[in-house]
Amino acid sequence: MPSVCFYFQVHQPFRIKRYSFFDIGKDHFYEDDEKNRWILDKVSEKCYLKTNRKILELINRHKGKFKVSYSISGVAIEQMEIHRPDVLQSFIDLSKTGCVEFLSETYYHSLSFIYSKDEFKRQVELHKAKIKQYFDQTPKVFRNTELIYNNELASYIENLGYKGILCEGVDRILGERTPNFLYKPAGTLKIKAMLKNYSLSDDIAFRFSDRNWAEWPLNADTYASWVHKIAGNGEVLNLFMDYETFGEHQWEETGIFDFLDHLPKAIMTHPDFDFKMVSEAIDTFKTRDIYDVPEFISWADAERDLSAWLSNPMEQEAAKRIYKLEEKVLATGNKDLIDVWGKLQTSDHFYYMCTKFWSDGDVHKYFSPYDSPYDAYIYYMNALADFETTIEDAQAKPAVKKRVVKKKATV
Amino acid sequence: MPVLDPVITKKNAPKVLMLGWEFPPVINGGLGVACHDLCIALAKHANVTMIIPKSNPDFVVKNLDLIGLNTIDAKTLRNIGHADSYKKIKNVHFILSDLNPYYNQPNGYGSHALNMESQYIKKVQIGNDSFDIFHIDDLYGGDVIEKVTVFGQLAAKLAHSLDFDIIHAHDWMTMIAGMEIKRQTGKPLVVHIHSLEIDRGGIHSKGWVYQIEKKGMEDADVLMPVSDFTGNIIREHYHIPGHKIHTVHNGIRPVTPFKSEKLLKEKMVLFVGRLTRQKGPEYFVEIAERVLQFNKDVRFVMAGTGEYFNQLLIKAAQKGIAHRFHLTGFLNLEKVRTLLSMADVYIMPSVSEPFGLSAVEAVQFGIPVVISKQSGVSEVLKGALKFDYWDIDRAAEYILSLVGNDVLAEKVREDAFVDLEHISWDIAASRVLEGYQKYELIPELTINN
Repeated sequence: MPSVCFYFQVHQPFRIKRYSFFDIGKDHFYEDDEKNRWILDKVSEKCYLKTNRKILELINRHKGKFKVSYSISGVAIEQMEIHRPDVLQSFIDLSKTGCVEFLSETYYHSLSFIYSKDEFKRQVELHKAKIKQYFDQTPKVFRNTELIYNNELASYIENLGYKGILCEGVDRILGERTPNFLYKPAGTLKIKAMLKNYSLSDDIAFRFSDRNWAEWPLNADTYASWVHKIAGNGEVLNLFMDYETFGEHQWEETGIFDFLDHLPKAIMTHPDFDFKMVSEAIDTFKTRDIYDVPEFISWADAERDLSAWLSNPMEQEAAKRIYKLEEKVLATGNKDLIDVWGKLQTSDHFYYMCTKFWSDGDVHKYFSPYDSPYDAYIYYMNALADFETTIEDAQAKPAVKKRVVKKKATV
Repeated sequence: MPVLDPVITKKNAPKVLMLGWEFPPVINGGLGVACHDLCIALAKHANVTMIIPKSNPDFVVKNLDLIGLNTIDAKTLRNIGHADSYKKIKNVHFILSDLNPYYNQPNGYGSHALNMESQYIKKVQIGNDSFDIFHIDDLYGGDVIEKVTVFGQLAAKLAHSLDFDIIHAHDWMTMIAGMEIKRQTGKPLVVHIHSLEIDRGGIHSKGWVYQIEKKGMEDADVLMPVSDFTGNIIREHYHIPGHKIHTVHNGIRPVTPFKSEKLLKEKMVLFVGRLTRQKGPEYFVEIAERVLQFNKDVRFVMAGTGEYFNQLLIKAAQKGIAHRFHLTGFLNLEKVRTLLSMADVYIMPSVSEPFGLSAVEAVQFGIPVVISKQSGVSEVLKGALKFDYWDIDRAAEYILSLVGNDVLAEKVREDAFVDLEHISWDIAASRVLEGYQKYELIPELTINN
């Protein structure tokens, strides 16, 4: 009996303002408050509130048979706390239905696993606490930023006590195999991997409103018929996508909400099919094979690797510089500074610096608040330069005190 | 963008009558080079005949039928069938004098009736025959409107003897000729726009050059501006409907870049261009001042001359940055290239730049470029830092970032090299042919294989 697992990603970064060279040393606030708020408002109205209402309605209409999972980044929750408590409340309402599961991720939606395991763990714990605080759930399944994944991550996550992890079903690794089973990550004992079916996911997330697509306009019955084809060669269909697909990437006028409205029923017309939250799927199904991922994969761009964030020297330099600060930042013991450091780690900053002009450049440009990848880099590095001096200053003070104490002790 | 290759058979190739003004070796600014290089590339796919006011008879261009009105003698005219019409053109004499880059616009309209009575036509007695001779000293000085009018008349008469499908004029100097030929032959007129009066003189510049441009563009069937930026000016300031506009970005001649040893330890920021309002030289001084407030180890070099020279010199002195600000005056190509081989950053703060080939030349020399968004070249260079010409802080920020951050400078340079692959006269020529087809000026092109 195959199950469909929807997982929606909710994330909004704290975008950095056009932080000029001339601001260094004078202005220690890097966020583009106005833009962040404007975007959150826009997405809240177009997507979050509407889609949450629809999901709640579907859960009620299908008497608990329609189930979904979410991952909401810590920085997204934080922005909702400040600017849109109504949106946060609508997620809380969903959490009370018993049909909604919240996943674990890094609080800052960061690339920390690649650079610092300690920092990664710190962020996972922070996020876990946030999810517990609002949704009264302790996540059992992990998904890393933009489904960045490899064998090492799976082992690490297993050791943190998780029973499942989400990742991309990448053709070059799957070969002839289908993503529609649970897999055992290479080198692990118990943890199970759920692989995104990118073809069926992207039909909704990317192609839905594409008028040049042969299947346009797509209706729920047609889509359900594709889903039903996995019967006999698959146990779990993982439809993973950005939540903003609904109403923001695919505007309401495209009919995306009608599509969503009809989809659960259309899929459940086949008596063998149901919906499951990710933990239920992991408890229900056995792993059928090993998914061996020595190199990092992700769900981003055509390459489905790290190239969306770390393919050019600007991105690499920026990332190296921010993670190099770890020891110094933590040594300050200053909660605010540590938080600023975390926010500077958000992967989006690096995504905006991407210069794959001739391939996926347009997607990057769509999301970027800047005129060019160079601007993204310049403003980031300016802010970082200021942050570095701030850290130096903060560090200098307690260090001086310590030395004084030491001296006294030796006298 | 695909380049049409293999070439169209010459048999069914479109026959294009080009009308040019500047042309090598009589080069003036970039227009002559642009016309020349575009024609050469286009001649691979089309039969191109080019009429220009004057050419050097020794200058032969392969595949290109080049007619300088100065090179046509009475014998030639008799041979081309309409001898009677061409009695007036016999032998044309030229004296090269000072070639001003651009003609300084006089006040209001001159008197320029469309007849052949002109100071630029001289009567010459040879034996018993009397001939009228087209005679101009230089392309831009004197009564230019009369020159372009006479050129138009003569070119139109000459056109009767030529076989062509399309008239392709370049800028206002040949628009009268284009319109006249269109009127007399009914052939479609394409006007290629390299530069407009609005670029040179500002948006209130609406004298007779503007009027000719406007009339010429209204009469034209298709306009081919060198950038979308210029296309927008055509729509906004000349009120020409956008559906007639087909952008053809310029190409560039490949060069072999070289590096020279630096003479000074400081980083060098280079500006190359005429020191006129259009190029925004005064912004360069402001930008230099801003940069120097934060980084003393930068030198600013301005290569070129023009009406702003003295005031720039004074301005730099007043700001107390003269020790870091250098005006070289006019430099020849070789010296400009030497500067390019030493520079660390190239800046083009143009106020209104239809294209801006100099920025691409800087890219060829591996220099990261900072260019104004008010330029056509900003549409084809992804590897460039772009600012609004009035945004001094932004430009200063870019320069500070480039001189202070090697990772950034290297990245911009690298990306721009990729852009170079998409900037060529062959690509420009295919865009021209695409335009001919799109507007149905020629039948569907037959391409071999």
